[in-house]
Amino acid sequence: MGIRKVAETVFDRIKLGLQGVCSVFSRPKYAIFGIFCVIFIAYILNFWRDGNGNWQLLCSGLPLGDKLGVLGRVFTSMVEFFRSFSGFTVALLALLQGIVVTQLIFTWRHREKNAALDGASTGGIGAILGFIALGCPSCGIGLLTPILSAIAGASAVAMAETIGHIFTILAFALLVFTIIRLGYIDFILANVSKGKEKPCKK
Amino acid sequence: MQKVIRVVALVGVIGLLVGLVIYNTLNPAPPDMGVWNEAMSKGDAATAKHHFVMYTDIFCPYCDKFSNAVAANLDKWEKDYIERENILFEIRVTDVNYENGHSKNSRPAGIAAYCAAKQNNFWDYYYALLEQMFDDYFSNGIGIDPYSEKIPDLPNSYFTDVAKSVKLDQKSFKQCVENQETAKELDKNTALAQNRINGGVPRFVFDKFTYDGFAGIWDTTSDYEQVKTLMNAGLSTK
Repeated sequence: MGIRKVAETVFDRIKLGLQGVCSVFSRPKYAIFGIFCVIFIAYILNFWRDGNGNWQLLCSGLPLGDKLGVLGRVFTSMVEFFRSFSGFTVALLALLQGIVVTQLIFTWRHREKNAALDGASTGGIGAILGFIALGCPSCGIGLLTPILSAIAGASAVAMAETIGHIFTILAFALLVFTIIRLGYIDFILANVSKGKEKPCKK
Repeated sequence: MQKVIRVVALVGVIGLLVGLVIYNTLNPAPPDMGVWNEAMSKGDAATAKHHFVMYTDIFCPYCDKFSNAVAANLDKWEKDYIERENILFEIRVTDVNYENGHSKNSRPAGIAAYCAAKQNNFWDYYYALLEQMFDDYFSNGIGIDPYSEKIPDLPNSYFTDVAKSVKLDQKSFKQCVENQETAKELDKNTALAQNRINGGVPRFVFDKFTYDGFAGIWDTTSDYEQVKTLMNAGLSTK
């Protein structure tokens, strides 16, 4: 098979994958679930974006009202934060992860459990990498730094920025790969279910 | 079956990472009541009921967000916390970002901070330097996070020029910065701090409450609310 043929096949797969994503999100219940997922994941990522600070506040001796205030402030700061480039990165990660979760649910519910598990593991690795690369690892703020210092000591933190960037790129690549791959399966599933709903009349 | 194992392994890895973070959170900081440099503290060391420590690097934007918010509300902050709650608030300046290869500016800034402390005027110099950095860089989106444009390597004159607006013996301050007279103290304190921080700054050790990072948005009103939350968490954690 020539390079051109391979490129055409890959391009077709991507095209069908994106059509699959559209067919999942054109169904109102999946679209609503997807939006909920994106907001929920964005909240979680924003909660952890600067390390475990918010978690430490929840574990502190602050009264309950103040702890609820901490949870509420994560939500309001989310909007402000998304105006910066790193905020945009977090928003994009949340969007991709939300799409993957919705696709996984769709695929699972259409009895393609093997494909869903495949997607869950690839997408899951992407999600973890994106999650731990958040914040500013080089200045010690983020989940990567405590992990690195726990595994390899404080000196390993010098490499945190590079590792953080690699993790972010890998996270995006894995999530996009998972979306296209699951999208292709979803495209087939959506068309099969269309066929079942409206059988051809002879 | 193999795929189920993969998913279970994945969940295990997530659990491990979360466990590690929680372990780091709950791991108590070593008890440490001594003041490293008296000129870098606020409050009465002899009578203070609380000892709040902030490990910082002047070229750490997250640390500067905290200090900028305090500087903008200084009178209120001093009255509500330092005086009313009888807190000894100490800043421990390090150059961890220089040691980590993140910013060359951390070192001259740290040296200059200790030079100002040598003349017993650390706080005025510190706030003047942060204000200058905010005007020159942070307000323009430079050096605010790992994705933004980096602050260029600054000459010593950047740190000595800031001192002109502060009551300091300009000649000896300039000499101190250029001859790196406080480098040993900075190195010693950075080495001590490395054992007390999770690899980075800011780290707040407010009595028994520890906190890493500061999620401000460069808005001194909103960021001061977070400062208050941290201070209150320090006061209420037993």
